[in-house]
Amino acid sequence: MSDKTTIQTLPVLPLKNTVLFPYLLMPLSVGRPTSLSAVEAALATEEKEIVLFAQRDASVETPKQDDLYTIGTKAIIRKMSRPNENMVELLVLGMERVTLVKLDDSGAYLQARFRPFPLPEDNTAEVEALHGALTELATTAIQLAQPNAPQEMTRLLAANEDPLRLAFVLASMFGLDLDKEQSVLESDSRAQALRLMHTFLTHEIQVLELKNKINTEARTEMNKEQRDYLLRQQMRAIQQELGEKGGEQAESDQLRERLEKAELPEDIKKEAERELSRFEKLPPGAPDYNVIRTYLEYVLELPWNKSSEASLDIAHAREVLDEDHFGLKEVKQRILEHLGVLKLNPKANAPILCFVGPPGVGKTSLGQSIARSLNRKFERMSLGGLHDEAELRGHRRTYIGAMPGRVIQAMRRAGVNNPVLMLDEVDKLGRDFRGDPAHALLEILDPAQNKTFRDNYLDLPFDLSKVLFVTTANALDTIPQPLLDRMEVLRLSGYSEEEKMKIAHRYLIPRQLKEAGLTEEQCSIPNDALRHLISGYTREAGLRRLERAIGRVVRKVALRFAEGDTTPVVVRPDDLAEMMGPEIFNQETMRRDVPPGVATGLAWTESGGDVLYIEGTLLPDGKGMTLTGQLGEVMQESAKAAQSYIWSHAEDFGIDPALFKSTGVHIHVPAGAIPKDGPSAGVTMATALTSLYTKLPARNDTAMTGEITLTGLVLPIGGIKEKALAARRAGINRIVMPRANQKDLRELPEEVRKEMEFIFADRVEDVLIATIPKLSERLALLHRRPLDTAA
Amino acid sequence: MRELKNMLTLFMPEAPPFWRPLVDVYRTRDGWLLKFDLAGVRLDDVTVSLRGNRVSVSGNRRDTVIEEGASYYSMEISYSRFERTVEMPVTLENARMTLEARDGILLVRMVMEGNSNVR
Repeated sequence: MSDKTTIQTLPVLPLKNTVLFPYLLMPLSVGRPTSLSAVEAALATEEKEIVLFAQRDASVETPKQDDLYTIGTKAIIRKMSRPNENMVELLVLGMERVTLVKLDDSGAYLQARFRPFPLPEDNTAEVEALHGALTELATTAIQLAQPNAPQEMTRLLAANEDPLRLAFVLASMFGLDLDKEQSVLESDSRAQALRLMHTFLTHEIQVLELKNKINTEARTEMNKEQRDYLLRQQMRAIQQELGEKGGEQAESDQLRERLEKAELPEDIKKEAERELSRFEKLPPGAPDYNVIRTYLEYVLELPWNKSSEASLDIAHAREVLDEDHFGLKEVKQRILEHLGVLKLNPKANAPILCFVGPPGVGKTSLGQSIARSLNRKFERMSLGGLHDEAELRGHRRTYIGAMPGRVIQAMRRAGVNNPVLMLDEVDKLGRDFRGDPAHALLEILDPAQNKTFRDNYLDLPFDLSKVLFVTTANALDTIPQPLLDRMEVLRLSGYSEEEKMKIAHRYLIPRQLKEAGLTEEQCSIPNDALRHLISGYTREAGLRRLERAIGRVVRKVALRFAEGDTTPVVVRPDDLAEMMGPEIFNQETMRRDVPPGVATGLAWTESGGDVLYIEGTLLPDGKGMTLTGQLGEVMQESAKAAQSYIWSHAEDFGIDPALFKSTGVHIHVPAGAIPKDGPSAGVTMATALTSLYTKLPARNDTAMTGEITLTGLVLPIGGIKEKALAARRAGINRIVMPRANQKDLRELPEEVRKEMEFIFADRVEDVLIATIPKLSERLALLHRRPLDTAA
Repeated sequence: MRELKNMLTLFMPEAPPFWRPLVDVYRTRDGWLLKFDLAGVRLDDVTVSLRGNRVSVSGNRRDTVIEEGASYYSMEISYSRFERTVEMPVTLENARMTLEARDGILLVRMVMEGNSNVR
């Protein structure tokens, strides 16, 4: 190396904004013509040496001696290339620190006379300490500036044994300001250079830490929105790529287009337009954005003015109804009437029908075939267990996840405003603190109000008056009176055995055969077997269990075929025990021996009718009347009324009045576990008591029903059809009933009427004449009443 | 964020700042052979020294193709001072060294004398 006094002359490269440190490589771009000439002059030597001084002011284009720092670096050009004609890129390597003696700017390039200015070599404890501290500081700074920096980088830094070199590396690495870099280069001692770097780096670290903190804070805050924004941006890009319009723009355009196309009533359209213009102003990120969009879509999808072309062909409707359902004349008639009215007055309100009947009699399927016969859409919803008013009427839009009520939803599904809407199980509506859905139904089912039904969600009036509402229920007593009042109740009572057989042949057997993959030739169930199946294995008013039983028989046959036996099967009654097991129901057949004090009554239940035996027994030395068998209040009272009547007319019946005083009486009505109530057992009670006190048995082939008064009148009761069918099932063919119920016999199938004997009673005596043979003569004489029978 | 400038400055842990010729090291039957890539360097300009288990080669590559009217268009070859120190796995105190320049390659052959401890 040159010694301190040697003066050397080399071309000069003035540096802007940076300093080249000894030991370090630095890439440079050279563009100034004078600098290009200097580079060429340097390259033309064997050593490729050049000297670099930093400019005090970067804006000076042709620097003089005063414009350059006097301390610079002698360097060797390592590599050189020309990216274009007027530019040279260099890689220079700093060799030694020099001090400028004289700058010669007279030639084509700057030339400097300079002297070496050797680097300090002090090696004090302070230097050592600073060296260590700086290495640590540098590691921290690098991690802050570039968290992803490779581990090697810090390792390489630590490997710098020369403290000065570490200072240089760090100074140039962190891109300090020019005057700072220059002061590091100019340091008189290693300690000074290290101290300077230590200060700079500490400051640098503080800046970096602050920056990172700001960045992290901003990042956490923006993260979600940023993400949403980015995703949306991407979506837009994809849509553009696909030739679709930008997201929300397209969405609101689409909605507007649909709004224009939709046939909405004027006021609805105005409302929808208001919402749409609100929607257009919202950014897609707004919480309301989706709410309004869903709302608008809903409004646009509802059939405000759309009706299905109602078929007014009455003959066709009748055909369809008869095809789907056997019997049920009354209901069919009512439907046809409605059709007739519609024909004359197309604006007529649809009736609101309520089908009441035991399970399985075809209420729901009747609704479907009504829709079919009228050529309307059919929508069904079950109200069973519904206990929230909002389910029917919707939630207000302000709630999160608000939805329209079920009625409006059904309308949307139907897509027309005149469907047949079936509300199943209205008698099973629940109620709780959220309100009573039955009350919401009042509005929906009121023809006077449902022209402007307001769903909470829509908050727009919707016309439900064209909807043909059909409700179904098993019993009427749980339906609130105001609701019941709005509906036309049509009773579907149970089917008689004959009807069941016809229905089975016409619908159930073919359906089950088809299900099992059999043909009628392969398996047939003749009448006698079917009758046995009905009476022995099902006991119901409807047909569900019968259909299941038929299905079971058919499947057994199918198994036989599947196993390879291909002889056609005709099911015989005797086969049933093998196929179905022993009979499930022993017919509540008529009792053979009826001792005095027992009378046969009839009851109506939700699943049809039933035969009840009322049993009475005297309690010698007992007192009063004991009633058991889960009897309701009304039934207990009618027992008392019966007793009082007999007591007061004891002489007429040949009973010793003292008997009433000296003995108690116990009346029991099996089956004891089933609650019973109602007035219709009055005549039966009277018969049982009379038979008990006179010790004359009542006829076992005669059942009776009717309410009695204290003066001995027999008042009409309900459920005649079910009761008659129940009696017949039990093998009882003689029924005593109130005369006022004579008209109800028309409901009975022809063959039942023919087979059975009905006796109509006006007074208790008429009943007793018909039921207690040994008393009849005496009473007939007393009252001069002929026995009145209908046959 | 401020980038760390001039990563290049980091890649030279060896001081002083001279260029480093590439070297291949062979193990021979009786010692070692070092092959330095020193094209364009005159043998006179090369100094080879042994100290402990280190072999140091230093010198100067001069650009001898300097013609009147010719100027650089680009330059990739490193000129001027070079230095390279190779650390050997054994001490070389007893080695006998010969130098040979062959086609721009400097061959440094070291024969271990006497009780060679080449393993």
